[in-house]
Amino acid sequence: MKKRTILLLAAALSALMTGCSGSTNETSETTASETVSAASGEKLQYWCELTTTVSANYSNLGDTPFGKGLQEKTGVEIEFLHPPTGQLKEQFSLILADGNLPDLMEYHWISDYPGGPEKAIKDGVIIPLNDVFDQYCPNITKYLKENPEIDRMIKTDDGHYYVFPFIRGDAKLMNTIGLMVRKDWLDELNMEVPTTMDEWHDVLTAFKNEKGCTAPYSFEYTNGQFLGADPFVAAFETNRSFYLGSDKTIHFGAVEPGFKEYLTMMNQWYMEGLIDPDLATLKNDQVSAKITNGQAGASMGQSGSRMGTWTAAARGTTPEFTLVPAPVPTLEKGKTAEMGHIENPFSGRSSVAITTSCKDIERAAKLMDWAYGEEGHLYYNFGTEGTSYTMVDGYPTYTDEILKNPDGLPVSQAMSAYIRGNYNGPFVQDVRYLEQYYTLEEQSQAPIVWGACNGAAHTVPPITPTADESKEFSTIMNEINTYRDEMILKFIFGTESLENFDTYVKNIENMGLERALEIQNAALARYNAR
Amino acid sequence: MNKKANKDTFAYRLKKDWIRNRSLYIMVIPVILFYFLFHYRPMYGAVIAFKDYTPALGVASSPWVGFANFTRFFKSVYFARLIKNTILLSVYNLVFGFPAPIILALLLNEVHNKHFKNLTQTVTYLPHFISLIVVTGMLTDFSMTSGLFNDIVAFFGGERSPLLQNPSLYRTIYVASGIWQQVGWGSIIYLSALAGVDQQLYEAASIDGAGKWKQLIHVTLPGIAPTIITMLIMRMGQLMNMGYEKTILLYNPSTYDTADIISSYIYRVGLLEQDWSYSTAVGLFNSLINFGLLLITNKLSKKYSETSLW
Repeated sequence: MKKRTILLLAAALSALMTGCSGSTNETSETTASETVSAASGEKLQYWCELTTTVSANYSNLGDTPFGKGLQEKTGVEIEFLHPPTGQLKEQFSLILADGNLPDLMEYHWISDYPGGPEKAIKDGVIIPLNDVFDQYCPNITKYLKENPEIDRMIKTDDGHYYVFPFIRGDAKLMNTIGLMVRKDWLDELNMEVPTTMDEWHDVLTAFKNEKGCTAPYSFEYTNGQFLGADPFVAAFETNRSFYLGSDKTIHFGAVEPGFKEYLTMMNQWYMEGLIDPDLATLKNDQVSAKITNGQAGASMGQSGSRMGTWTAAARGTTPEFTLVPAPVPTLEKGKTAEMGHIENPFSGRSSVAITTSCKDIERAAKLMDWAYGEEGHLYYNFGTEGTSYTMVDGYPTYTDEILKNPDGLPVSQAMSAYIRGNYNGPFVQDVRYLEQYYTLEEQSQAPIVWGACNGAAHTVPPITPTADESKEFSTIMNEINTYRDEMILKFIFGTESLENFDTYVKNIENMGLERALEIQNAALARYNAR
Repeated sequence: MNKKANKDTFAYRLKKDWIRNRSLYIMVIPVILFYFLFHYRPMYGAVIAFKDYTPALGVASSPWVGFANFTRFFKSVYFARLIKNTILLSVYNLVFGFPAPIILALLLNEVHNKHFKNLTQTVTYLPHFISLIVVTGMLTDFSMTSGLFNDIVAFFGGERSPLLQNPSLYRTIYVASGIWQQVGWGSIIYLSALAGVDQQLYEAASIDGAGKWKQLIHVTLPGIAPTIITMLIMRMGQLMNMGYEKTILLYNPSTYDTADIISSYIYRVGLLEQDWSYSTAVGLFNSLINFGLLLITNKLSKKYSETSLW
């Protein structure tokens, strides 16, 4: 008997050891099906990503005061399911392949479901919500009636509603990325915040020569989010990718003459040592280090996670350290920038669809609809009255529980325990959250300074190519984007002469750019016809 | 059916052997299960290379598309570059990476100061245990304009430059760091092979007047040749099987020219763009090349050295 136990133990051990050498993909596969099959009868299953400011303190949204309160107030019991951080798309595909869908799924249905939302309905993954809205959702129906532009955005070309959307309720919430520059240095050098490309050149040169910066302008090139928002590209009235031209058709900026001018300027700055020489290998923490220790004097990023964090970090050693937002530069002084990064109020992100597995559609719909009414709106953005906010003259004001958390949590984490207003989710985001979130005057200025452009007119609306088109489109753009990213760096570093810009354009055209634009513009026409 | 024939059947022999070595069979069951579940069962999934797979429809009901995914890869503008980069990087890895642990083992074999030998072994093993993320993080930092490598370059009067943004240096950095990390670990198997070489042969050789070098050529190397060849064959089978992890941690668009390999391309297209069928097709193509290489090496080795896997 004893002998057998030892044998079994040995067998188990050897299995463990071989198991360890297996690749990680297999382990995630098993956990995926486990989370899904752990279904309990009555509760609604709600699958969503757990944002980092929540996961810092809680492993499940249902454990947060927000999650508990939501169930109490709506009377709906919810079981929250979360994919491991950073594996949203992989987990999504695994759940779909498994076929056992949660009732509600929060996802980017436009860009992250291959083929888009209409395909998701056709594939039998989610249900169209038109009847559901009519029957059970008075709040969102009312909201959409009052906001026809949003109504158009959240429909498919066939007129189907498919999600409870995440909507940014104010223009200030739509431009979160911009340029920032060391104000204390500018004052010391008797310079103004730069507004034109020439002024930027002077400022960066002064930073290099007077302040000894090794990387006067530093940002991580590989951060895709920043690339699309680059204000220096906007200065030449173009874009790295697709934008809506003044002729109301979609253009691809990276092949336009303006883009060549941009590259010429960047190349010149790079040669003069005004741009971080390690541009392509930088990561967030290296940029942070360079800004806070004075190797760099200007950067790009968000007013919250960058400007605020850096200022707080640097003031420990450099009390006068001040970063201020700089507007989208122009070529001529005094002009208002025509382009600039302004997102759509509805981007498609973090929007909740009801799946075909949902048995109690009425209950699910009522739960989601609650967020778009008066009470739900306050709850999602400010939390519980008396605990996380109090009404002061009709203005929901966060309490010290949030702003000066007794447990020493940063504001972003304290907020995330009580609300979803500071990140995203199926509700209308309230600008009054932002007004209180920023602790520095410069941060509050940022949305105004960065938003002072006509960028909104050039943002491509949330169009949806058909399933076949989107496959073809992504095949084409995959090749083009790889080539473009590679060539941009070569042009900037000077390893490829700008005389070859025409060849570069020709190569991109040969990869099928025209067809890609055709698909985009066809989708735009359908969008406009909604 | 007479009794004698019955004894020769596979089932009969298995049964007999089972009775004799029952405990061994029980021990091997989990391993067989592991290979079946995690290595053979997923092979079924490879059929999506010939389909237009959508998770919602599942593997079975996604429509067939024949060789469309393969054709797309062969027609891709990056096809030639990906193949070239993968082969070059693999060959460099083999040419420089394969002999390195053998040389280290031979050197260590000649060291007779036990403490020094142990210290050297420990120091060379250590990098093996550092996670790839950390290694590539260090490499990235060291390669920056203000990094350690550039400090060294500047010390000898060279000019500082961002090393990982230079496509012509990428392969050197990739291969050299690989050797640095694995040379000690890889030498273990050769050290044990060296320990198995008959000491009498050395005595006989030295009586015949062979110096250290001659002993190395005529005694040591032939002694460990079977090990070297087995390792080489196994390595050849993995030749094109370059993991994407190190590449995606080290490369950036400015080094795609030399850095982008098949597996990193699969990662970008398959995982980031969710084009499962296409990336499976590319992966399958890669595996086929590997399998071919393995067969060829095995055949050659059988012909010339009588050592082979089967």
